[in-house]
Formats: sequence, structure tokens, C-alpha cells
Amino acid sequence: MPLCVSLLRRAKANRLSAKIQQLAEIDRIIHEPARLMIVALLAAVEEADFQYLRQTTGLTQGNLSAHLSKLEDAGYLAIEKTFRGKYPLTICRLTERGREVLDKYRKVIKAAL
Amino acid sequence: MIENSHRHANESPDAIANRLMQNAHNRDGLPEIAIGASFLTFALLEWLQVAFHPGSFLSNAVVVSLMLFFPAIILLSPWAIKHVRTRFLIEKVGYVKPKPLNWKLRSKMIGVALVLAVAAIFAAYMGAFPPAGWILAGTGIGGGLLLSLIGRSSRFIVGGVAMAATGILVAFSRTSLETGFTILYGFIGILSLISGCVVFFAFMRKPAAAGEGK
Repeated sequence: MPLCVSLLRRAKANRLSAKIQQLAEIDRIIHEPARLMIVALLAAVEEADFQYLRQTTGLTQGNLSAHLSKLEDAGYLAIEKTFRGKYPLTICRLTERGREVLDKYRKVIKAAL
Repeated sequence: MIENSHRHANESPDAIANRLMQNAHNRDGLPEIAIGASFLTFALLEWLQVAFHPGSFLSNAVVVSLMLFFPAIILLSPWAIKHVRTRFLIEKVGYVKPKPLNWKLRSKMIGVALVLAVAAIFAAYMGAFPPAGWILAGTGIGGGLLLSLIGRSSRFIVGGVAMAATGILVAFSRTSLETGFTILYGFIGILSLISGCVVFFAFMRKPAAAGEGK
């Protein structure tokens, strides 16, 4: 009986260890809370402009701009500058690679939690 | 932002997106204004139904309007809110293009609504309709619950509680169904309209951010 309990405990510990190891594979660019907000938001819509992202996330202009640059450099985000009437729009949309990375992140977090 | 960061530790990306988008959607008070205006129009139609002589042309026109009212509101109000935002408030709220509609989910919801409507018509035909008090209390509690769940913010929860309480109070007052609906929808409509207007004017008073980053 104590042997069974010990084996069960060891199996549980191994499973936990595997899950924790999976966490090491997490994409650090997306894992940052502010960038996670941006990517999660853009995954839920087709596209959004800078002002919408700023209003929705509550980030400052400079902060949002810096995070968008990092995401764009990583290839997770496409940014396009355009106009709607006289209003300038900086439109952001998630790239295919961005969506794949978010899906992977979602799976890893779900498995770990 | 710091508070947001802590909250994200326990949330999935989908939950984060839903919460942020819901907050953004309710931020300018337009949804509450739309709900308030819809409820007040419905209350007015119910009142007209009582005011006109039953069987007259005007009374029949009101009955037809009541039948068409909710489908029209469900289809038109999201379009109207989106149009007002993109036409007049884009500098304040920004631009967002939502994903295409989930037609599978929408057709399921339409199916459930149709089944409920057919069941209600059948019950009315068979004379098996519950007493007016039950319908009013059920409408108040169900509507309040729906309002709280859809809005997912303290303002909508307060509105939902007020709707449930008004429904129960009206049910106990033993009024007719039409008068009860007029009171219930009229009161909640005024409440939503006032709340929406206060939020809208507070939102408009906030200075817009100058320029863009990136």
C-alpha cells in the first residue's frame, strides 16, 4: 500500500515537472502583460487602430508605441498607416505568425494551469 | 495598468480580450442610450395599445409595430451604434473592425427565439397563458438577468437589479399586462437613458489624446 502511494506521488510529481518545463517554452514577447493585452485584443478583431488600442488597454502613447514596435519586429503584427477622411489611422492587425504564436501560448498556459 | 498586469496572470488571452472589449464597448454610454430609447419606445407602444380602441385601425397598427419592434431593434441598434461611433466619435474611441459574424451561433439563437415565440403563440391560442403578474415578474427578472450578463459592468448590474425589482413590484400591484409593461419598460428606459447620457457627456468631456505614436 505505501509503495502504491509512493508511485502515485512520483507520477504526479513527474507530470507537474513536465508541465513546469513546458512553461519554459513560453514566448516571452507575448508573455509580457501589456503585449499580451494587445495581442489578445487584436486576435479578437480583424484590425484596430492605435487610438482604439490605447483607449482599450489604458497604456500611455509612448508605452503602446514601444510595445507595438516590439511586436512588429517579431513579425507578430502588421502596421499600416492610412486615413479615414481627415483622420489619420495607424491600423494594426495580427499576422498569421502572430496568431500561431498566440495559439501555442494559449495551449501552454492552459496545460500549465 | 499595474492592476491590469496582475489580473492578466490568472486570465486566458480570450478572457482578457473579452473583458477589455466589453469595457471599451460600454465606455461611451451609447449602448445604454440605445437600450433606454428602445425600452421607452416599447413602453410608448404598449401605452398606445391601451389608449386606442381595441380592433380599430390604429390599435391594429400598434400591435403590428409591437411584433416587429424587437427584431428590428436587435438588427438595427448595433449598426446604429457602430455608425455613430465611426461617423462622429472616431477621434475619441478609435477605429476597430470586428471579425465577421458567427452565423452558426446566431442561427442557433434565432432558432431558440423562434421556438419560444411559437410556444408562446400556442399557449395564448390554447388559453394556457400564465397570469399577468407571473409574466411581469418573469420579464423583470429575466430581463434584469440578461441586462447584467450582457453588460458585465456595475452600471448594467444595477440596471438589471432595478429591472428585476420593478418587475416584481409591478407584478404585486395587480395591473393589466399592458399597463405593467408600460411601467416596467418606461421606468427602466428612463433609468438607462439618464445613466447613458451621464456616461456619454463625461466621456465627451475627457480630452482626446493628441496625435499618434508609431
